[in-house]
Amino acid sequence: MKLEYVLYGFGILFCIAGVGYLAAEYVKYLSDIGKIGSLLLTVGLFAFLGKYFEGLGW
Amino acid sequence: MKVKHRNLYLYLTLACFVGIILIFIFDGYMGVYDSLDIASGEFPQTIEPDRWPEDEKYPYYSTVNVQQGGIIAFTYEVQNRTFSAYSADVEVTVSHEQEQVAVLLSQPVKVGSFDKGQLDWTLDTTEFIPAGFTSDQRYDLSVLIKRGDVERNVIIYIRGDSYPPKPEIIEPRPSN
Repeated sequence: MKLEYVLYGFGILFCIAGVGYLAAEYVKYLSDIGKIGSLLLTVGLFAFLGKYFEGLGW
Repeated sequence: MKVKHRNLYLYLTLACFVGIILIFIFDGYMGVYDSLDIASGEFPQTIEPDRWPEDEKYPYYSTVNVQQGGIIAFTYEVQNRTFSAYSADVEVTVSHEQEQVAVLLSQPVKVGSFDKGQLDWTLDTTEFIPAGFTSDQRYDLSVLIKRGDVERNVIIYIRGDSYPPKPEIIEPRPSN
């Protein structure tokens, strides 16, 4: 059972790393305003995700 | 009530994610992009749209080396990733030491929505090499592409048949 969770963890990490890599590559094509907008939305995304998990009792 | 509040954060998270994706699509993908194919000798190259900003940072980044008498074929492609048609006047000039030498092409380009337009021209180096050019010399030209307000620059290095000149071989000293 614990091994499954370790594998889930690896899967999630690889997904985040892959999406992060693609985003980092694609950011080169954005304008400065687009980069700032994306950065603010990313900060908001993680902040709201944190609040969501906080509400779940994590 | 608490359940609703918890879901609100989840919806806001999703809204931020959708916002990022929309910025990536409309700011990163949409727009008018241009690329340049340069075919000369054994080293054809393509200058992709993402390489032009590097040219602005580091001038003379895009260069072509060609042997004396060589012909360079250019293919300029304009990609229109917008919902409306795009048209602009394109002028291609050749200059040497900041002085315009010739106009290679001057014509409008019209590209439909989410379509590609293409312009082709060639540069024959024999037409630009000055009299008195010897085979151990190098001659530089600059090709400037003007598309509306956008300017792209490519440097052409024309090498003589025996350029660079061979260094003189110094005879070793006779040993005593």
